[in-house]
Amino acid sequence: MKLRKFLHTLPMKLYLILAAIVVFAFFSNDFGLVDIQKTAIILAAGIDKTERGFSVTAQIAVPKGSDRTTGGTSSVEIEAEGETVSDCISLIFAKTGWVPKLVFCDLIVIGEEAAREEDIISHLNYFLRNDYMPDSCMLAVCAGKAGALISSPSAIDDASSLAITKLFSDAAQKSGMVAVSTLKDFTIGYYGVSESGFLPYIRMNTQEGGQSAGDGHAAVPEENQKVYIAEETALFKKGRMVALLTREETFAFSLLRGKVFSGTLNAMDGEKPVTLTVVRNKGGVSLKMKEVPTAELSLSLTLRLCCRGVSAAITDIASDSVSPEILQSAHDLLIEHVEKLFTTAKEAGCDLFMLRRDLFRRSLKEYAKWKDALLPALQLSPKIALNSMK
Amino acid sequence: MKISTRQVLFFLACVAPVGKIVLLPARLAESAANDLLFPLAMHYLLQTGAVFLVLLLARRGQSFFGLMQRSFGKIAAKILLTLYALFLFFAALLPLLEQKLLVQSVFYDTLPSLVSFSPFFLFAAFIAAKPLSASGQVCDLLAPIAIAGMAGIFILSAGSADLFALSPAFSSGASGIFTAFRDGFGWFSDAALLLPFLGTFEYKKHLALKGALCYLTGGAVVILFTAIFYGIFQETATNQLFAFTATSKFFAGISTLGRIDYLFIFLLSLVMTFYCALPLQTGVECLLQVYGRGRYLPAIFSVAVSAVLLVLSVLLDYHFTEVLKAVGGTLFWLFPLFSVLIPILLLIFGRRRRETS
Amino acid sequence: MSIISRYGSSEEFGAHGRRRNGIFLRRAALRKNTGCRIEVGAARHTLCMKTITGDLHATKEALKRLLPAEDILTFGFSARRGLKFVCVFADPITDKEALGEQVIRALLSYDGPPVAAEVAKKLTSPEIRRGTSLDKLAAEVLSGNPVLLFEGMDEGIVVGTKKVVTRAVAEPSTDVAVKGPREGFIEDVKTNTSLVRKRFKTADLRIEMLEIGRRSKTCVALCWLEGTTPAKTIHEVKKRLMEIDIDIIPDSSYLTHFLVTRPYSLVKQVGTTEKPDIFAAKIAEGRLGLLVDGSPIALTLPYMLIEDFQSSEDYFVPPYRATFTRILRLLALIAAIYLPAFYVSAQLYKLQLFPVKLLLTIAGSIRDIPFSPSLEMLLVLFVLEVLNEASIRMPRYVGMALSVVGALVLGETAVSAGFVSTPAIIIIAFSGIGLYAVPNLIEQTSVLRLAMLLIAGSIGPYGIILATAFVLVYLVTTVNFGVPLVAPFAPLSGRELKDSLVKFNLRSLKIRPQVLKSPNKRRMK
Repeated sequence: MKLRKFLHTLPMKLYLILAAIVVFAFFSNDFGLVDIQKTAIILAAGIDKTERGFSVTAQIAVPKGSDRTTGGTSSVEIEAEGETVSDCISLIFAKTGWVPKLVFCDLIVIGEEAAREEDIISHLNYFLRNDYMPDSCMLAVCAGKAGALISSPSAIDDASSLAITKLFSDAAQKSGMVAVSTLKDFTIGYYGVSESGFLPYIRMNTQEGGQSAGDGHAAVPEENQKVYIAEETALFKKGRMVALLTREETFAFSLLRGKVFSGTLNAMDGEKPVTLTVVRNKGGVSLKMKEVPTAELSLSLTLRLCCRGVSAAITDIASDSVSPEILQSAHDLLIEHVEKLFTTAKEAGCDLFMLRRDLFRRSLKEYAKWKDALLPALQLSPKIALNSMK
Repeated sequence: MKISTRQVLFFLACVAPVGKIVLLPARLAESAANDLLFPLAMHYLLQTGAVFLVLLLARRGQSFFGLMQRSFGKIAAKILLTLYALFLFFAALLPLLEQKLLVQSVFYDTLPSLVSFSPFFLFAAFIAAKPLSASGQVCDLLAPIAIAGMAGIFILSAGSADLFALSPAFSSGASGIFTAFRDGFGWFSDAALLLPFLGTFEYKKHLALKGALCYLTGGAVVILFTAIFYGIFQETATNQLFAFTATSKFFAGISTLGRIDYLFIFLLSLVMTFYCALPLQTGVECLLQVYGRGRYLPAIFSVAVSAVLLVLSVLLDYHFTEVLKAVGGTLFWLFPLFSVLIPILLLIFGRRRRETS
Repeated sequence: MSIISRYGSSEEFGAHGRRRNGIFLRRAALRKNTGCRIEVGAARHTLCMKTITGDLHATKEALKRLLPAEDILTFGFSARRGLKFVCVFADPITDKEALGEQVIRALLSYDGPPVAAEVAKKLTSPEIRRGTSLDKLAAEVLSGNPVLLFEGMDEGIVVGTKKVVTRAVAEPSTDVAVKGPREGFIEDVKTNTSLVRKRFKTADLRIEMLEIGRRSKTCVALCWLEGTTPAKTIHEVKKRLMEIDIDIIPDSSYLTHFLVTRPYSLVKQVGTTEKPDIFAAKIAEGRLGLLVDGSPIALTLPYMLIEDFQSSEDYFVPPYRATFTRILRLLALIAAIYLPAFYVSAQLYKLQLFPVKLLLTIAGSIRDIPFSPSLEMLLVLFVLEVLNEASIRMPRYVGMALSVVGALVLGETAVSAGFVSTPAIIIIAFSGIGLYAVPNLIEQTSVLRLAMLLIAGSIGPYGIILATAFVLVYLVTTVNFGVPLVAPFAPLSGRELKDSLVKFNLRSLKIRPQVLKSPNKRRMK
């Protein structure tokens, strides 16, 4: 009887106990919880090679307090040196007392030295293993030390990482000035049959005569504020940086990827320079396995006259059309850039256009035959068609 | 209370697929790489056949225990059903641990303690103590939730996928495909989950065919999702443990709107919570069919089973790889045995007995 | 409790009392036979008197003994031939003017025999009943109907001159519709039944009056459409009502506790409305309605959750607009319940739920807050609930002060003082408003919101998912009078989805909700 009564009232007792546990947990919040107030929100990380191993510079967002009238994002850069990247991150925790959280890390910059000397997957290993690291994070290489780049005061934004990620925006990509790669893209290239990849290459310049945009570095003299340029592209083979594409080659690469919708292209109008706007871009690379493997780089652009350095009648200014002479000049220029691009990649052994992967996907038999000899034997066949906007 | 055949079909088409889009794609990619769709399709064909057979058994209008008793006699039926329940609890282990890992890495930025996942067992005990009709009814609500979740994930993910990554076919060879097929057995016990439902719904015209088609439709969705998943991650797919939470973050709008994909991830996780609890509920149902339904027996069984699984999940917390090896390696045969062979045997023996009688 | 009458019909009192009280019957017979009074022991007899006798004094005394309250008055007068009358009435609830006009003035000239039937003919009141049971006559007096006694009477006469103190029929403040009827139920059950009756000019509308409450004897009107409401539902509701044994029923909400099978249910199980048009529409669908005297809130059974997402206005506006508002109500409710919980769990466990810029703004706002995010949210929610509670009950003249205190002191100053953050106030403000998108569920949803917040603060986002799973199971397993609470979604009924979240054109709604199991399925041809 007692047992029956006990069992009858058991659910209610269990609900009460459960509610008590929930309320206790709510008020204690003490089971390994790392809330927003104990967190270091890492916006970007810079990785350099040191004698000891690695040096990681983390840019951590600092809340501005309840006064939001000034706007912007404050940040602080913490550097730590250790034998592994993970070691460095732990040191950052030790230095700040904040638990580093990578979920908002949108940029990883690797110093050129580190990128050239070692397989950068060893640098990225920690991030690939970390479940909380977004693989949509941008990757880049920089001239000099990544730590210095991350720690530099930006003339454009409050935090250097925010200024750099602006360079990698969709709009920037559409201009063709930058070739962007994410952690996922780079890893796929690395672990794929092509074993190649590319990353934007960032240079840091001192701002001259500019004004600070935010108040994040208000105390920094204007002459020390930096601007960043990412018009070059670093090429990688088996995780090592093997070559650097110039601004023009990067542009040609972007055109071949068909990603340019508002980029500009310089050509010659006789002796005078003219600037053309790319209105429509179709690009593609295909592999033709004839007697020798040939990379067919095809490019089809529709161009509009953007700037002509001559005085002209208003009817001329009103017209967007590009003369055949200018088109020919642009064609020659693009052929030159594309050839240079191809040569640079080929000489460096970087399968920039993922042709080996294409071959693998197309025919396992052909791939088995050509997998090592493909790049050295590769011939170029550029096909560029330029049209004027009518 | 009876459940309607529509709810069974909803389970097959909408709820069951959700359990296959977490770890399974990465697990298949490990051995089969870009051929991962082949073992997946093979599993679906096999399991569709099993589902067809189970639904055919529903024509006899008997409970699972009734069918067992008719085929093998009362004592054997009791033993077999107890074994069946044990199998279902074992089959629950993989999705449980899978969901535990998912919860720990997707719902929490820093690794939380056990406190975060252990409430699942309260829910499991709660629903396992309810009659199967409760799960049937819930399927009516879960179906649109699952469809909304899957549609959202598809919309956000499809644009980032390079489906050419799936070629060339058979690059991993027969051994890769069959290894992946063997590894995937742990995720396919839907026909086994359906058997204890027998007797709670009435057979209607072409139900077996409709059920098989629904299951295949769900399978097609899973195959399409897996293709998109591989198209996005390609050679790194093995590293992406929680497939459906990983594919949508490359959507262009995410950078401005924030992780809107979490809305769909939450919806699918809700469906998955029910799917993970289902083996426990069906297992408890098997035990109840054998040992009778006392007033407190459902609650006692469900609490006991949930407690045991809670302890197991704690003990196996750091041995997930070993569990995967065990489920996909040494013990993989249990899954076809219980989800394919038993329905076949019931179909054959039940008929023979009827003929002899 | 007993069934006393069918609405609109009168009942002869007394037969019951006569059977029970043989002594007085015999005495009355004796008196009639001998034509003389039995004076001996009269005082003693009045102590246990249960029915009236021809002895006016003794009857009056017996009635006064049953009704000792000071507001029960007696008024005596004599007719032309000296026949003595006594009128017993409850002073505050009797219309004395009508009493004077319809009874006293009419009887002053009475010269007939002392027979109730004859006396009643002389009265000009439209509502006259007769009875012999003193208990029942006393009950009539307490209901406001004076009882007329006279010398040598065989029966007492009940005159329906009740003074009903009611407010006018007005638009209910909690159930407002921009378009559509503005009438609302009031506290008088007769007025309320008239509001229902005028919407059904059919004999199929049945209104059965029950009396519930040992002391309050509250009138409860059961309304249904014969042939449309399932007999099983009517029977079941009546059975449960008859089983109620309580002293008073001050409001209809009391009844809900006795009508439901899960008294501790998280969700509402009886439909409520203050609008006769909604009440009539629900009855027409095959439900049963309950009107309780003293309560402007009518009850309808069986209840389905979707009812509270439907507004009467939805049927007066174009279907696309109705669909939009219904979906909006659902989304507002979901947001109101989940927003505080997700906000807290995002801060505590999953920062990624915020876009980075918003996260930094929030991080900035809460930097100097002394409480944890969960405690902060609980605090703001607590303040909201206090303000809500106080603003409902506070006298109107201090309402302005409350607004100032609530908005400025607790809001603005608390933020500037660093007690709470601005985002927390925004979240709770939205949540507070969102819950009122479905005002009839406010009691349940506010508890659910608090529960979600506690779970989010202690377990995190997965806790919210689990709690949602619990709620789903709970909802689908709740059945009221054989009707699933979340119908037509679970069990899914495609045809009935036409008037669920999506509202189809009225022409498409030809069939009554199947789930209500109405014997009369078709409502439109």
